[in-house]
Amino acid sequence: METRDSLIQVTDLKKYYNKGTIKALDGITVDINRGDVMVVIGPSGSGKSTFLRSLNLLEEPTGGSIIFDGVDITKKKTMGPDGKMVKVDIDKHRQKMGMVFQHFNLFPHMTIMDNMTLAPIQVKHMDKAAAEEKALALLDRVGLKDRAGAYPIQLSGGQKQRIAIVRALMMEPEVMLFDEPTSALDPEMVGEVLEVMKELAQEGMTMVVVTHEMGFAREVGNRVLFMADGQLLEQGTPEEIFGRPQNPRLQDFLSKVL
Amino acid sequence: MSQLISAENFAKVAQFGDLFKEGLVITLLLSLLTVLFGFILAMVLAVMRLSNVCPFRFLGLTRDGHLREQGFLVALSRFNPVSFLATAYVEVFRATPMIVQLWIVYYGLFDKSVIDLPRVTIFGFIQLERFLPGVVALAMNSGAYLCEILRSGIQSIDGGQTEAARSLGLNQRQNMRFIVLPQAIKNTLPAIANEFVTIIKESSITYTVGVKDIMSAVNATKGSLYIVMEPLIVATVMYFCLTFPTSKIIAYFERRMSRGDKR
Ligand SMILES: Nc1ncnc2c1ncn2[C@@H]1O[C@H](COP(=O)(O)OP(=O)(O)O)[C@@H](O)[C@H]1O
Ligand SMILES: [Mg+2]
Repeated sequence: METRDSLIQVTDLKKYYNKGTIKALDGITVDINRGDVMVVIGPSGSGKSTFLRSLNLLEEPTGGSIIFDGVDITKKKTMGPDGKMVKVDIDKHRQKMGMVFQHFNLFPHMTIMDNMTLAPIQVKHMDKAAAEEKALALLDRVGLKDRAGAYPIQLSGGQKQRIAIVRALMMEPEVMLFDEPTSALDPEMVGEVLEVMKELAQEGMTMVVVTHEMGFAREVGNRVLFMADGQLLEQGTPEEIFGRPQNPRLQDFLSKVL
Repeated sequence: MSQLISAENFAKVAQFGDLFKEGLVITLLLSLLTVLFGFILAMVLAVMRLSNVCPFRFLGLTRDGHLREQGFLVALSRFNPVSFLATAYVEVFRATPMIVQLWIVYYGLFDKSVIDLPRVTIFGFIQLERFLPGVVALAMNSGAYLCEILRSGIQSIDGGQTEAARSLGLNQRQNMRFIVLPQAIKNTLPAIANEFVTIIKESSITYTVGVKDIMSAVNATKGSLYIVMEPLIVATVMYFCLTFPTSKIIAYFERRMSRGDKR
């Protein structure tokens, strides 16, 4: 396994539900390197969302470890630089991982501007004027500068998801996690969201993307993971996964989606 | 035999006009303070009920720090004394009559040997040692009801909101304060408004411990003039004038706050 510039090391990650009868994640081991655009594919219910949500501890894993920036975030405590045990501050780590959800999850009671500046102001204690300036610059990048004062309900699905992406970028994360970001969109809006993600990838952002957009996986991804039944059955470059799939489950899956 | 209701009797009631005026002010003040303290109490109770304080959580972890799956220790590790206390409070206050609670507060809690309030009269007609126990009892009662309203409001907020907030690095407190509570309060405004109107009406019970509210003015008139329908009609009009605008005002704010919901 490549360890150069490794950002997140996931080892034997497990997540069980219902007293162990449902194994949503059944021992996932994978390294995420800086600059990776890792695309996760697999049938519905295979544990893709659970994997992504475990990475920033929205789900508490049943077993295994996730080492992010050198700290095992699945543990409550870690060895500090002075050799003492210190509490793992999960809020600190979550700031460094942006997350984009299938259903956008914009805050409906706030304007777009407030959606974007809330976390930088409250969490990073950024100056309000500076946060707003930064928000406008990001909005400009995704072509939505004129909607800063609008409420989420006033936007189309594609616009909402672009806002959700730049809202996460406001915190300057080291990695962006996308959970089926285009699955809730009308077909004509999928492109505008994928375009933003592609630009982000080209700028070198580390990304983990769960998606059914095989075109995106092929074109933008540098690694593809195939999951089924909570297990990582195959991984490789897009050429390997789409061109020479080995696992019969993957072959079957690809024959259905391509 | 005199008629049941007569203009003559209304004229007599007018002699007690000052009592009714003072009663109106007292009912209004009583309700406002109850609403204020009841709401604060309800917020505290609701946050307590939904808190995640588990002092025995470590019992649910295996030696290597992961979650155990089942057994007695898991149940114990999930025990939340803070939430338990709040739940017990709410259940007790919702399961007992208001008048019992009021009398326990007045005769028990504010007994001279427990809390001895100074005999102060505010504005010349509000007797603190009767008024304050009334506010406390009403607020403790409505706090329990408002807590349940707020709690269901909080739970009705899509979990994705909290996930988005936490993924941006907001902690649980900030999530509550900026994301969940504003939406929950907005969604439950009609129910909260109903509770406020209920408080104005329920506050009439405090005349039984000598609070000089509207109902107490009715009682005084009845006692000295031996007429009851006319003072009751005056009281009815007064209560209506308090409750009806209150629900209208809250409906106005509800419309204003729902800006984010409209195209
Ligand atoms: N909170 C939960 N309780 C019980 N089972 C769950 C829960 N969340 C997910 N699961 C189960 O875990 C499995 C993986 O789910 P998920 O990660 O959402 O799959 P995917 O995103 O690949 O469709 C599914 O079988 C799902 O039913
Ligand atoms: Mg999913």
